[in-house]
Amino acid sequence: MADPAHASQTPGLTIRSLRGDAFTLPAAQVLSRSDFHFAPPRSLRLPIAPMRPTVLHVGLLNSPPQVNSFSFPRSSVPAAQVPRRPRPAPEAVSPDIPATAAEPATQATQASRQAPPPDAPPQPARIVPPRDVVKLSERFFFLLQPDLETQLHTSQLDFPRTPFPFQLDGMAFLMPRHGAVLADEMGLGKSMQAISSLRLLLRSGGARRVLVVCPKGLVSNWVRELGDWAPELLVTVVEGDPGRRRWLWSLPDVPVKLANYEMVVRDREMVAELGLEFDLVVLDEAQRIKNSSSQTNVAVCELKRKRSWALTGTPVENSADDLVGLFEFVAPGHLHQRMSPRAMGSAVVDHVLRRTKDKVLKDLPPRLNRDERIELSAQQRETYRRAEEEGVLRLAGMGREATIQNVFELVLRLKQVCNFDTATGASAKLDCLEAELDEIHSSGKKSLVFSQWVETIGRLKTRLSRFGALEYHGGMSTAARDEAIRQFKHDSAHSVLLLSYGAGAVGLNLQFSQYVFLFDRWWNPAIEDQAINRAHRIGAAGAVTVTRYLSVDTIEERIDEVLRRKRDLSELILSETGSPEASGLTVHDLFALFKLPPPTRAAAA
Amino acid sequence: MEAAIADSTYGFLTAVESASHGLFGGYLLVDSVGRPLEFHCTAPVKVSRAQQILYGTTLPGHLHGRQIGATLLAEGTLAPAVVLTDLEAMLTVRPHTNLPVVLVRPVGAGGGAEATFLVGGASVSPGGSDASLQETLRQHLEALAVTVDLSEPFGRIRAAIEEAQRH
Repeated sequence: MADPAHASQTPGLTIRSLRGDAFTLPAAQVLSRSDFHFAPPRSLRLPIAPMRPTVLHVGLLNSPPQVNSFSFPRSSVPAAQVPRRPRPAPEAVSPDIPATAAEPATQATQASRQAPPPDAPPQPARIVPPRDVVKLSERFFFLLQPDLETQLHTSQLDFPRTPFPFQLDGMAFLMPRHGAVLADEMGLGKSMQAISSLRLLLRSGGARRVLVVCPKGLVSNWVRELGDWAPELLVTVVEGDPGRRRWLWSLPDVPVKLANYEMVVRDREMVAELGLEFDLVVLDEAQRIKNSSSQTNVAVCELKRKRSWALTGTPVENSADDLVGLFEFVAPGHLHQRMSPRAMGSAVVDHVLRRTKDKVLKDLPPRLNRDERIELSAQQRETYRRAEEEGVLRLAGMGREATIQNVFELVLRLKQVCNFDTATGASAKLDCLEAELDEIHSSGKKSLVFSQWVETIGRLKTRLSRFGALEYHGGMSTAARDEAIRQFKHDSAHSVLLLSYGAGAVGLNLQFSQYVFLFDRWWNPAIEDQAINRAHRIGAAGAVTVTRYLSVDTIEERIDEVLRRKRDLSELILSETGSPEASGLTVHDLFALFKLPPPTRAAAA
Repeated sequence: MEAAIADSTYGFLTAVESASHGLFGGYLLVDSVGRPLEFHCTAPVKVSRAQQILYGTTLPGHLHGRQIGATLLAEGTLAPAVVLTDLEAMLTVRPHTNLPVVLVRPVGAGGGAEATFLVGGASVSPGGSDASLQETLRQHLEALAVTVDLSEPFGRIRAAIEEAQRH
């Protein structure tokens, strides 16, 4: 306690207790506020009611989560009957062919597919459901399947050779799709991919009735391919008189029926009357239905079906409208004629798969193109000059009444003169061809020669008989054509095959030929490409040399100019870029060949 | 025995964590060549922070084994010869099922239980009490591995669960 006397004398802070005691702190000790805290509360309130604590409920993980369940159809072949074959090592699939990137098939367009890094191991091809498969159970069915290589190895299916990785991708693209266009470049094995896919579908129970429609000339080719790639499948070719066809159409236990386009058109009512329904309809060379109003288009679109697959190397031959016609079969209502090429490209991206040989077959022997410019012989030149002058004069005289048929006739006549002088039979082209074939024949190689005309083929055959020239055209019976192919393939005495574009440009596998000659030019470069790809395809033993004859300063050069402009149209649409500048040999183009004004609407019709 | 093995079915059980939704479970039943027969998947199970604290270290086992694994196995209409999982936590499903459960991992990925054996390039570890079935399990799995990469079906389940989330 501080001394009170001392406290009264010393400046500072005096504190008194309730009893009167006091002490004083010297001023020097109370300079800082922090030394004292003296703030008694003015009042203190204490709660009277009892406090209720907030209770938080933490749920335990006791209730089981909701489960969605799916079951899938059993394969027709029980697992116990599947032979146990070891899985292939990834690199053993195709050592000589680089694999394509195994991207989801929904993105499987040529534009989107990128080659994998050179040292990347090939990825297994998986089936990815397309956008049009909406039900989750169906999407799961595809997603939960083993990869395609495993499926092939466990499906008890033998193949004549191991499919290339890009072909497995093609099968993975086709199998889940209800509407699909396999638009691979010719020679990449569209038929094989379709056959293997339909075979797997039939095996898995995903399809029971399949109809394959192809051009008449390719029926025997399809029978052969089905025999090679699906030997266990029972195949019926619908042919014969109406009574027999009715019986064949209605056969219930045949998984694959094969008919040509003409037969489908002819039996349109019969098929409807029989109430036939197919799980899958495959159209080969589907560009046949590009014209929406054609009978063929109408007839195939009327077929009752669950799945529609179209195979064509040339989905766009002349104009973007070709694709519209095709899609009336593949996915009705998906495209319409007023769409821009870019919009069309976008709309079909999930339905179309197109690969080109340079992208997927980097080791395919090269295709060497050369344009052989031929000077007409003196007689030919004179005949040509006269024919052109007379023709143009006649057309000019008709003025705007000249029809497309009039112009077409003149074009054909002039083209024929470019092949042979009508008066003397002289042919500068044939002179050149004969010389070239001489050398090829001596080296034991084989050549294909294409022409637009059967008559030209006949003349060539006569002149080229020393090379054992054989014919193949639509004027021959199927048996005679098959025999010609057999001889050309197996008999070294026959080193030249003369084909018409119409019959020989599609479906034939002639990859043992190393030379292709286009004696005259077709109207459409896509058809020429198809012809060339009879030889330049998988299995080609060496480089394929393609010679296109062009008569200098003639209608052939002018047509070539137009064809060059339209050559890229298909790629423009399929790559979703740019817009087409030309749509092929239109009426306007044909008149322009002779610098004539376009016809009136009535005359053009 | 061979015929019985060829007729067997196999279960593949896994779970997929989604940051936004929680944990999804998937159970795929395949035949002896890998073809799908049944698929069951759960709605996502989302665990709160409080549940994480409450369950502590028992959470992974409870979540995978009891909540997801046991629920899924109970939904299967087929009885597989063995259930394969690629998640160690899923082995805790074993007390809730009569089915043998094995952990499958790529060789060298750890999980070296005593009973571990190699099948087709994968390391297989039977869960606890199933170690005694090692020889039978090995025969079944070796038969399956002839045509199926034992780790591959888990990828299919994950793809299906991703698809379910988009759907």
